[in-house]
Amino acid sequence: MKVLATYNIKGGVGKTSTAVNLAYLSAREGRRTLLWDLDPQAAATYVFRVRPRIKGGGHALVSRRRPIEAALKATDFDNLDLLPADFSYRNMDLELDDTKKRTRRLGQLLASVADDYDVVFLDCPPSISLVSENVMHAADSLLVPLIPATLSLRTFDQLVRFVEDSHGSHPEVVAFFSMADRRKRLHREVIDTIPRKGTRVANTVIPALSIIEQMAERRAPVPAFAPTSRAARCYEELWAEVCPT
Amino acid sequence: MTSATRLLQATDESRFEIEALVAALSSQYTVVTGPKQLVRRARLDTFDRRLRAAGLTLEHQIVALGERLVMGRLDGSSTVVVPVKNMRWPALADVLPSGPVRDTIAPVTGIRALMVASEENRRIRRLALQNRAGKTVVRVEVDEPASAAAAPAQLKVRTLRGYAEQARRADRLVDSLGLPIVEPSESREPNSALMASRRDREHAARVHLAAALGDFLAAMRENLPGLLDDVDSEFLHDFRVAVRRTRATLKLGRPCLPEVMRRTWEPAFKLLGDMTTPVRDLDVYELDLPLMSGWLLSAHPADLEPLATHLRHRCAAERRMLVHRLRSVSFGRLITEWENELAQLVNTPDDADQQHLSTGQLADQTISRAYQRVVRDGAAVSDESPAEDLHTLRKRCKELRYALEVFAPVVAEGPRKRAVANLKGLQDVLGRFQDSEVQGHALRGFAEEMMAAGTTAGAMLAMGELIGHLDAEQDKARAEFDVAFACFERTTSGQPMHRPQDAR
Repeated sequence: MKVLATYNIKGGVGKTSTAVNLAYLSAREGRRTLLWDLDPQAAATYVFRVRPRIKGGGHALVSRRRPIEAALKATDFDNLDLLPADFSYRNMDLELDDTKKRTRRLGQLLASVADDYDVVFLDCPPSISLVSENVMHAADSLLVPLIPATLSLRTFDQLVRFVEDSHGSHPEVVAFFSMADRRKRLHREVIDTIPRKGTRVANTVIPALSIIEQMAERRAPVPAFAPTSRAARCYEELWAEVCPT
Repeated sequence: MTSATRLLQATDESRFEIEALVAALSSQYTVVTGPKQLVRRARLDTFDRRLRAAGLTLEHQIVALGERLVMGRLDGSSTVVVPVKNMRWPALADVLPSGPVRDTIAPVTGIRALMVASEENRRIRRLALQNRAGKTVVRVEVDEPASAAAAPAQLKVRTLRGYAEQARRADRLVDSLGLPIVEPSESREPNSALMASRRDREHAARVHLAAALGDFLAAMRENLPGLLDDVDSEFLHDFRVAVRRTRATLKLGRPCLPEVMRRTWEPAFKLLGDMTTPVRDLDVYELDLPLMSGWLLSAHPADLEPLATHLRHRCAAERRMLVHRLRSVSFGRLITEWENELAQLVNTPDDADQQHLSTGQLADQTISRAYQRVVRDGAAVSDESPAEDLHTLRKRCKELRYALEVFAPVVAEGPRKRAVANLKGLQDVLGRFQDSEVQGHALRGFAEEMMAAGTTAGAMLAMGELIGHLDAEQDKARAEFDVAFACFERTTSGQPMHRPQDAR
């Protein structure tokens, strides 16, 4: 089982869109795929039309009072399951803080479904927190969407340092540009000049396209409702770059 | 992902009243009816049904929009769907796309090829039962035959993970249509009357032997098409096992079988066995090559590539010859005449027997004699004994093993299994001893052929290493013989192996 987390300290950069679309593509290729919506805003859960509620809330999951298997929901797509978000996830830091090995609990929870899935996506909330530290330990790869702007790069530097400073094994960090607008000079310059030394930057650039925003309206991944669209092709290219072998 | 599935059958067997179904389900769900799709569905398994034995199902489905593989479990739980392109069968599992399907299927099928076990055209319509949020919470599949010979129409209610309660509710709605539930298909039971007669120790031995020989003939026939088409190497292996068992049974049954068996059929099946040996030997070398490359210490596995190529060419040439012989009129006549001979054997009046032996009597006599021979020949083996003596002992062990197998229905199961287990340890040592010698000898022969063809020095050196390993393995097996034989003797002396009637 490979764990991929879409993560950035900043919000609104395309984490959920990436997680939803790549999870769909992974499942479409026949991989048994799970998407865990860790963000209390529950955007991924909403896209898959699942009720954003876990019996007993995040506390029941983190404390293992309720097994993770009992909270899983099939999506409308073959091979793709969802572990929905719950508004109580806003307190997940506190719940994790109360556990033994508090930075490794999410990984321990995922280990219980390791035989059921080939790929797990973690759609993370935008923050640096105990949840993030858990993600660092649980994930094999961090997929980091970056808006091509100066402040985004600064945040990315912070994130890379955060990963390097975390204890134990580090996930591979794979950055990629998201919501890019080639008509903007700044976007073009940032994409062309980002320092690639020491960090893997995917070649695929996800453009800012209205069809991606339509995911929330259509409540489905882009390749499902617009399989021949440019956005779908971009996500397919990105998946080809980052999919675990 | 889906989990448990419930199957219901249409009352008129060919189609469902879709309107009635939708009406029943619409009372609680929004029913989204998908288009009717013509699906060509090929159920895949190995010839010896390894997937079924492992509780797995694999289907290759071809629809208008493309192809897909659907892997599931026999109980209907868990389904994995993978899109594929241009898959052709039979094929080994390594042609499956990398991922969960190959990871699950390949270890089960091993060296056996996947082939089409059954094929039918179906018309499938998927119904999505949605809740108020438009989320699909249950799937219903209407599965109708597209040809007359196909299985009757079925309705599948698929439970989606996390929505078991909704599936139960849908089940209740479907129940209102009064459709009968389809029970899981049962594996074919052997003919119980026939089995009972074969367990009868008082039954004429000749009839028992004829039945066993008939089974071996059936096995030869079943494996012949796969052997001729070179589906996988196990068809030839199983064909040879059936031939070997036939030869052993003819030999064991000499006291009560007509003279024609010894005079005509024993040499005929020896010839048939010998005819298949070169291809089987070359198959084994090819299959073992990855293992052999692991023995190399100084040479690189790539150095064995010329040997692999040589084996492929030799094997292809030998196979062409074998296939030519097995397609010949004379082989066809052999099989037909053997079938007639067996029919005659069953229908021959009792007084035509050479000896009037019951199955029990022949079993006791044969097993006891075979056991005594193993003990006698094994005890005679000393440190100075030539390799030939161990080869002979291996043959004696095989005879005992075949006797225990052929007369299995009339020997108590517990003692027989223990006897086979005891024998296995000794057979393993003797097998390793002889195989090492034969393989070493064969490798020397291949080396000469390859040198004549101008092979690389690297290949010669690597093959030299393999021969060295085989020599060491043979010495090791020889050193283990005394312990293995003593163990066999200790565990079997006083046991009912040579007096099987005592165990009943």
